Amino acid sequence: MSILQATIEQTLTLYFGVIVFLTAIVQTKNEWGKHALEDNVTKLLLILMAVGCVEAIGATLGFLGHHGGA
Amino acid sequence: MAVAGGTLEHEHGAGHHEMSDALYEEIRGHRLLGFTLFLISDCILFSAFIFAYLYLRNTIDHWPPPGIEGPNLLFGALNSVVLFGSGATMHYALESWKHGNTKLFYRWLGLTLFLGLWFLLGQGYEYSDLYYRQHATWAGSIFGASFFTLTGLHGFHVFVGLIYLSVVWLQTRAGVYTRQRFFGLTAATLYWHFVDVIWVFLFFLFYIF
Repeated sequence: MSILQATIEQTLTLYFGVIVFLTAIVQTKNEWGKHALEDNVTKLLLILMAVGCVEAIGATLGFLGHHGGA
Repeated sequence: MAVAGGTLEHEHGAGHHEMSDALYEEIRGHRLLGFTLFLISDCILFSAFIFAYLYLRNTIDHWPPPGIEGPNLLFGALNSVVLFGSGATMHYALESWKHGNTKLFYRWLGLTLFLGLWFLLGQGYEYSDLYYRQHATWAGSIFGASFFTLTGLHGFHVFVGLIYLSVVWLQTRAGVYTRQRFFGLTAATLYWHFVDVIWVFLFFLFYIF
């Protein structure tokens, strides 16, 4: 994999990862006062989505995952 | 009385079979419970495959096996963010519908479909890299078998989700849903979030762990 490709992937992941993470947090906050079944399921799924963003950002920054591979 | 899909809303809108709000809410509650149970059953399906994967992985000293580099972490991270982003856009699509902004709803839904398709194409690229460059095949190694099975199962769910969202798009165009009665749209959003969240675990297991 070329350095340019890796840099582009890292930049896009960081940029969009932060946006999606913040979106998930804000939407969870907006849903927090609602207590219907679909609202509770949505809250849980949004929180896990934020966790996924942390994973992706952490992997991109080198905190998570094995970077010795491809 | 028809209760499947968006038929109720359509008939309500057309005035052929007027349904009271109380009855609709009751049926909606049953549908929602059924759909949530479906998502839980899907969780169990993925859990079975994930535990099988973990068991198989523990039987091997080196993971991935010698000769296989494994999936590309940076590309996988980008592809993951694309899928998570589609969850956010789908959430905004539902919120737009609730607030009566149809134009914005179609934009968010269109973006969700685009990002979902992007993710699937990214998975295809990942598969081709593993198959042609690293020679990881389904039958050739435990790594290939577990990776292609689990991510393939997830990819199939994404594919079904894209069809589901397309149907929802057509239903909204046809006037099936109203501002007050849009359970199909809610269910589609929950399904899409579910598909996102399953990937959180798969990404961790195959790319990070």
